[in-house]
Order: sequence, then C-alpha cells, then structure tokens
Amino acid sequence: MNASSATVSRTLVGRVLWYLPVGLIVLFFAFPLIWMVMTALKQPVDVFSSPPKFVFAPTLDNYKRVLSSDYMGTVGNSIVVAVVSAAFSIVLGTLTAYGFSRYTLRGQDNLLFWILSLRMLPVIAVIFPYFLLFQRIGLTDTLLALMLVYSIFNISFTVWLLKGFFDEVPREMEEAAKMDGYGPWGVFQRVALPLVVPGIATAAVFNIVQSVNEFLLAFVLTQREATTAPVALLNFLTPLGLDWGGISAASTMLVLPVAVFAVLVRKHLIRGMSFGQLE
Amino acid sequence: MATLRLDKLNLVYGGKGNAATHAVRDVDLAVGDGEFCVFLGPSGCGKTSTLRMIAGLESPTSGEIRLDGRVINRLYPGERDIAMVFQSYALYPHLTVRGHFELPLNAHKVPKSERERRVAEIADLLQMEDVLDARPRQLSGGQAQRTAIGRALIRQPKLFLLDEPLTNLDARLRLETRAALKRLQSELGITTVYVTHDQEEALSLADSIVVMHDGRVQQVADSRALYADPVNRFVAGFIGTPPMNFAPAVVQPGTTGLKLEVAGFVLPLTTEARPGVLGTGAAVTLGVRPGDVGLDGAPADGMPRGRVVVVEPLGDERIVSVALGAAPTADAPIWKVRAPKHGPAGGVAPGDLVGLTIRPRGLRLFDAASEERVA
Repeated sequence: MNASSATVSRTLVGRVLWYLPVGLIVLFFAFPLIWMVMTALKQPVDVFSSPPKFVFAPTLDNYKRVLSSDYMGTVGNSIVVAVVSAAFSIVLGTLTAYGFSRYTLRGQDNLLFWILSLRMLPVIAVIFPYFLLFQRIGLTDTLLALMLVYSIFNISFTVWLLKGFFDEVPREMEEAAKMDGYGPWGVFQRVALPLVVPGIATAAVFNIVQSVNEFLLAFVLTQREATTAPVALLNFLTPLGLDWGGISAASTMLVLPVAVFAVLVRKHLIRGMSFGQLE
Repeated sequence: MATLRLDKLNLVYGGKGNAATHAVRDVDLAVGDGEFCVFLGPSGCGKTSTLRMIAGLESPTSGEIRLDGRVINRLYPGERDIAMVFQSYALYPHLTVRGHFELPLNAHKVPKSERERRVAEIADLLQMEDVLDARPRQLSGGQAQRTAIGRALIRQPKLFLLDEPLTNLDARLRLETRAALKRLQSELGITTVYVTHDQEEALSLADSIVVMHDGRVQQVADSRALYADPVNRFVAGFIGTPPMNFAPAVVQPGTTGLKLEVAGFVLPLTTEARPGVLGTGAAVTLGVRPGDVGLDGAPADGMPRGRVVVVEPLGDERIVSVALGAAPTADAPIWKVRAPKHGPAGGVAPGDLVGLTIRPRGLRLFDAASEERVA
C-alpha cells in the first residue's frame, strides 16, 4: 500500500467513524417523525401489523380523508394564530429587550424576573381566569383571544432570549453610529437590529412551534370557529377507536409549514442557537 | 476647519458617596485650527474619558466644550460635526466597506450622486477601491483600520478624534499607518485629537502633546519641550525611553554656591541648573536623562559611582543599570545609562564598580513633596 492510498483509507475510516454515530443520533431523534410520515401512507391493515412493516404499498387515502374534512381550516387557524402572535411578541419583545439591555432602569432585575415568571406559570393555573375573562369580554372562540394569550407567554421568552443577543452587540458599534449622525432610533434600526437577526429568527421559530403545539389553552378557549389543529386532532378519536392513519396524515400537514419556515431561516438559526457570537 | 476649547471640564462617574470616581479634573485646553493634538498618559489617566466627552458619548459633570466658539455640551454626538475612530474600529459585520462609507452620508441625507462621488474619493484617498464590496471579516487589520478612518473622514467633519487607533495593528503596520495618518492629517488640514498611551506614537505624530495623569492635564507642549523641560516629576518620568533617572537629594551650601548631596556623593549646582528658589537643606528629587549620564570604567576620587546591576545589549549601544553608591544598599536608586559599545565602559559586566559623569545641563530638580520642577 503506498502513502497516498494510506491517507485516503485513513480519511475514509475517519469519515465513517464520524458519520456513523451522527447518523445514528439523527435517526434516533427523527424516528418518530419518520414513523409518522410512514403511518400516514399506510393502509389501516398495515398500521397495526406486527411486527411493524417498513416496506408496504403506500396509499394517499389518509390524506384524501383529511383534506376532505374540515381539518385544514383548523390548520389555517393554527398558522394564523402562530404567525400573528409570534410577530406581535417579536416586535414588542425586541423593543423591550433592547431597552433592558441598553438603558438602566429602576428595579430592572425585578422587572426582568417578573417577565420571566410569566413563563414559569403552569398554563393550567391561569386557564380558568383566562376563560372567565374572555367570556366576560366576549372573546371566547375567537382567534384574537388565542393570539393575545400566546403572545403573553411568548413575549417573556423573546425578551430573555433577545436581551442576551443585544448584550453581545458591542457598545462601540452603537457609539460609532451615533457619531455618524444617527439618533437612538437610527442606531437601533441600522446597527443593533441587523446584528440580532439570528436571535430574532430563533425566537420566531420557538414562538411558532410553541403556538402550533399548544393544546390546553386552545381546547378551553375555543369551541368551533377558532379551533386549532392540535384540538381538531381529537376528532380522529372515534367511537370505533383511534384513526392512526388519519392522525398521522393530519399531523404531517401541521408539521410541514413549521418545517418549511425553519428551513428558510436555518442560516440564522445555527448562529442563533449558539447564542450570539457575532463574527 | 475648527478650533476646540475645553474649559474646566470635569467628569465624575458613579456620583454617590465613596463610589464616585473623579475621572477628569478641571481640564483646560485649546486646540488650534488644523492642529494635531495628542492626549498621552497611562491607562486610567482620563484621556479617553476626555475624548469621549468631546465626542458627546459622555456628559461632562461640569465645564464647557466649545467647537469654533460654540458650546456643544448639550448636542447629540451626531450633531457636533465630529468624527471618531474607535480602538476596536467598531465596524459592522453586516455592512460592506462601501456600506460603512455611505452610512454617515445617509444619516445626513446626502444625495446619491454626491454620495457616490465622495465614496469614490475616499476610496481613492485610502487606496480601498478593490475592497469596497468586502465585509469586515474579509479585511486585513490595516484595511479594517482604513475603513474606520474612511467612515470618519467621509463627511468632512470639523474635528477628527482617534482613540488609540493603532493598538490592534502589528508593529510594522503600526509604523506605516502612523506615517500615513500624519500625512493624511496634514494634507486635509483637519483639527485632530488623538489618544494614546504610547509616547513614541505621541512624539512622532503630535504638534502638541497633552500629558495627562490622575484626570489632570500635567503639561501641554511640543515633543521637544516635554523632553527637555518637563514641569513635574510625572512628566519627566513618563516621557523618554528609558525613562529619566531619579534619586533623592538634599541641597547643601558649597564653597562656590549650592551643591547637591546624592547617594553619598556631591554634585555642584552650577548656574546652568537654575537654582532659583532652592534653599539649603531642601529635600529634592534629582532627575537625569540616561543620555546625560556617562560611564567611566575607573572612577576617580570623589566622582559619583555605582555598581552595575544589569547590562542590556541593544545593537550599537547598551543600556547599563547601575545601583548608586560605592557599596549600594538594597534600596539604592538604580539608574539606567546609555553606553556606546565601543566607549570607555563598553565592556562592563554586572558587579563592576563604575564612575558616572553627569552633564551639568542635564540636571533636573523636583520638589520632593510636591514633585513640581524647581530647577
């Protein structure tokens, strides 16, 4: 064996040793998703077969059934609620986080903790107060009610996440913009904001996933009109048993828009997940 | 172009009780039109704080800042017509070099055609045409530095501030950039305030140097005057490499005038040393520049002497450290002396007893208590 082929085989061995465990980890975490997609394509008889079938004749029956039901309307509700509440909490959260990061406020630490404590609250503890409140002001079974409640929970997370990002923006960069002739808003918009885009992308994904997943509040606060997809999945629980094929097809369609969004912002997401580290 | 005046400028950080730090104390200063003024001092001396007050990034606790006679204390930084280069350059990772140049023009709503003309002009001036579309992480240290300078100069400010701009460059590039900066400043004739802790930088760049210490201005002078006529012991010790040699001394009556008793030897105080107000018995600190002391291999009787402690070879010359006294004690003052390699004491080694010849014109005396210059 000559020297160059030795190097090739060494790098080949190195690659296998690297990709094998990575592949196994990915498979482990992606397995439920893969299983869901496979179940969505199975005939009812294949769904329950034992041992489980990995090779089967695929069918689109489950998708047809889901598409012809009113489920897609609830997916629409979920997406509208998630996007609006994420947008609202990002706008408010970004401004709040910038304020906390750049200005010294009286009782700043207490305020920040109070904001965080919103997140610590178990949803079940506030669910009936919310229900009574929305009933009183006539907002039950409206998308607006869900948008408001989700925004409240999302803002606390967004403020904490983005404060960390703003803290990492060097002061000198903002001072340089001040010297260049920008006022406080210009400094925020031209310098601070573009530098925290990874943080905003991360917050957006977390907020959207959170809202799309949420079940308990949506279950209590909506009846028909504003029902979201996680609640609508209950309809697949029939007197005849669970329609696993239908649930899987429906879930796939709920996951798809979120996955597409995550792929679109993935460039920022990787830097966002590593928390700051500008260049 | 513009003149800058500082009147009784003070800056106190913290403000409450003992925690307050008086960073800048009663600074008075006038910088003339087109002048290159350098603030020089050790870290924490208040030089950067003063610069930041001029820039508007820090509000003075008291005092006035005037640019062309107009008080600018209360103006927002962007309204002062002052540009600044930061030590870290403060470049934005999301903007290209062109973006950096355009940013200040956009802030002042300069029309597009004029903007393009000025960007081309500044890129030409700084030789940055090739990297206009590069982002900061693609730039070398020198290019990043020129980007910061270009961003500052592009809107033709009245006053140009630089905060230790050469610190992050390697030694060779620092020398090149220093020369380029000096040329640029004199070509543009722009009034400049430059902060550094590096005296070599200050001496080579400045029309006038402001030496600061403990928040106060110690002396404002050109490089020659600072070196030859320091007003106090701090300035004397801070300017010059190696620094001035000091030794405690007492003034005594001599046969033909006053004499100085230092570490067991006696020096006549000649008229050249301007005795002034010195009286018999006064405790002073004697200061002598390393270049004003000569080494003699074999000390004659009564001649100042000392023992060699360290010899540092530096090419053509050596820096010899000598502990003063015939039998120096552990706390004897140590003087550094420049000795030419082929001079009379070219071959001295640690432990040797050597004689010291002191040029009478090289004597500087400072009051032992106040440290002010007395002769």
